[in-house]
Amino acid sequence: MSISRREFLKLTGGSATAAAMLAQLGYLPPVLAQDVTTITFGGWGGVAEDEGVKAAIEVFMEENPDIAVEWQHTPDAGEYGRILLSSFAAGTAPDTGFILSDNYETLAVGGALMDITDLVKNDPLLGQPNYFIEPQESNRCEVNGRWYGIGSTWVAHHFYYNAEMFEAEGITPPGFQDDEIWEWEEFLEICKVFTRDSSGRNPGDAGFDSEDIVQWAVDWPFWWMPLGLAAHANGGEFLTEEGLIGLDSPEAMEGLQRISDLVYKHHVAPRSAALASLGMNNVQMVDTGRLAMAVDGSWALSWMNPSLMNVAMGTGALPKMAQPASIMQAHFHSVLSSTEHPEEAWRWVRFLATPFYQEHFCKIGLWIPNQSAMLTEEGLEGWIREGIHPPNYSQFATDYLPKHGVAVAIPPGYIEAANDYINPAFEALANGEMAVDVMPDAVRAANEILTAAKEDM
Amino acid sequence: MTSLTAKREAEPGFWLSRQYNRLTLKQRRTLMGYLFIMPFILGFLIWWLGPAMVAGYLTVHKWNFLSAPRFIGLAHFEKLVSDPILAQSLKVTIVFSAISVPLGLVFAFFLASLINSKFRFIAIFRTIYFLPSIVPAVANAILWAWLFNTEFGLINYIIRAFGGPKIGWLQDPNWVMLAFVILTVWGVGGSMIIFLAGLQGIPQIFYEAAEIDGAGRWQRLIHVTLPMMSPIIFFNLVIGFINSFQVFVSALLITDGGPQRATLFLVLHIWRTAFSSQKMGYASVLSWLLFAILMLLSFFVFRYIGSRVYYENPGE
Repeated sequence: MSISRREFLKLTGGSATAAAMLAQLGYLPPVLAQDVTTITFGGWGGVAEDEGVKAAIEVFMEENPDIAVEWQHTPDAGEYGRILLSSFAAGTAPDTGFILSDNYETLAVGGALMDITDLVKNDPLLGQPNYFIEPQESNRCEVNGRWYGIGSTWVAHHFYYNAEMFEAEGITPPGFQDDEIWEWEEFLEICKVFTRDSSGRNPGDAGFDSEDIVQWAVDWPFWWMPLGLAAHANGGEFLTEEGLIGLDSPEAMEGLQRISDLVYKHHVAPRSAALASLGMNNVQMVDTGRLAMAVDGSWALSWMNPSLMNVAMGTGALPKMAQPASIMQAHFHSVLSSTEHPEEAWRWVRFLATPFYQEHFCKIGLWIPNQSAMLTEEGLEGWIREGIHPPNYSQFATDYLPKHGVAVAIPPGYIEAANDYINPAFEALANGEMAVDVMPDAVRAANEILTAAKEDM
Repeated sequence: MTSLTAKREAEPGFWLSRQYNRLTLKQRRTLMGYLFIMPFILGFLIWWLGPAMVAGYLTVHKWNFLSAPRFIGLAHFEKLVSDPILAQSLKVTIVFSAISVPLGLVFAFFLASLINSKFRFIAIFRTIYFLPSIVPAVANAILWAWLFNTEFGLINYIIRAFGGPKIGWLQDPNWVMLAFVILTVWGVGGSMIIFLAGLQGIPQIFYEAAEIDGAGRWQRLIHVTLPMMSPIIFFNLVIGFINSFQVFVSALLITDGGPQRATLFLVLHIWRTAFSSQKMGYASVLSWLLFAILMLLSFFVFRYIGSRVYYENPGE
């Protein structure tokens, strides 16, 4: 029998279409699909995170040939959060995904995340006592006593400094050991040494022009992590045990005021700190000697590290007011409760909580481990890298954070409370208003939202 | 022959073409007309009316994306009258609209008058003035964020060079509105082109007649140009008001509503309420409020300003 070219094309096209339709409907026998279950994984991140996740997927799929992981990447975290919400509404949520720490409780209580408590507790590796750094891990993962995700890592703020500027001034930079942490007054005096106007005068000198500063001592951003830690460092709290905002206590407000005073009273910090990501950012400022110290999150080490900077740089703990403190948090990895493949989804989320995945991001300076084994001498060798981590950096993870790190669990309603009241109050502080004038009303209104959200859940 | 006909009859589309051939010319024209406007009709139904209806349904429901919408009656409307953030958002939007729309109109008209002249390289000037209006919104926002940067921005650099103060354009709530007005007025190229087209449509004979009557430059502008341009001015005014109530991208990217809610425009507030606070029901009420405001505004503009517009051929 001979067939024309047109008929041949019709036949092959038709067969392919029919096969595709049948496969969609699940009519083909499983053997044709090679018994591979595909699960989706949603998340955000820059190039480094994107590459890290892809590398992890490759390893996971080699170890688990029956599971294929499809990475759904969104560059921006906020945008990812909104896409995730829309996907709930559309019924197209991924099987697994990153969950923002400020939305974790809301999603957990709202039933969007799968309860993995028993899976974690009965796991031969993850269920071992003190596999994670405790009690911080349980504190953040547990919602009403149940786990709905596993913390990806820990991140916290510290100093990044230009070591050459310190050497030139003969000043010993701060470290992470208790006796290397500056007192607040000592920090202020050092800041005055580093700050200069275009005539070379320091704050306090006659004729110092605070409008014409060319070299600043410190950049301390005005958003919740670096401001919240100031409240803790001064003996106050960012969030109370009841899950309310505690930034209206005298201690907390004094802590916040001290940060604002760096700009408006002592003139040692630039005004546009809140928008440092625009124009010249803190990395460029440290690199060019226009800034001696930048307060930034530990994740910034992946781009503000010795191998990428043109000047010698170092890291150290933030000064204490009443006590040393730095807020710790990070996103979670969760199984979404809408998944049709809970077992496969759990195997992938479990893999993300094993040393391989965490080491990858710790090695590039993006993360700090939440697994105890990675803080031992042997464990540190697995992720501390010369050229990325300054010589004293391991002490931040092993000594400073376990003692002075404050893990926060962000309550439902926080995003609204922050957008509507807390962030505007922080902006007022950044504009030179007094903490005692702006915080009480803002905290009262914000806590009304948090209380209503709690009652609503 | 028979087999050929049978084969043709079996071809897809044959039945349709036979039905179509049976129609009268008028019916065919009507059908084709509907088919041509169908993309718009479908787009309108699926992307506008459908969501608007859902938003209408959600106004009396509480919905956080996670669980099924819950009926709560008029609770959202009660909140509407006592919501301080909404009041601030409305204030920001109205102030911006009241300043930027008239200023934008005057500036666009001024530019159009300038480039309506005939001299060498006029096309280059027209392109230069029009270009800002086609810069993508995101690029535009980032560009102005750099220009307005307090410490390193070009604008403060120039002000400082003349001995002026360092202005916190994007940090100081007293200055940020002016920054947004400047940014908006910079992008009036679209209105300018419409004005230019209007100016070129005014018959030269009117100016000649006015000149013969002794009218000077100013009188020609007041008594010839402005009346003849009034439909165009009115069009740009209405579009300007509607656009000014829908500021979003620049507010989101440059200031995120800050500092201290000074740029919390209504659309940004709606978007945040929906996708950050997870309050879709209340966000729907706010969306319908925006719709009502624009309807009312358009009504008053048509009623009190539209009546003063001069139409050369009112019947057309």
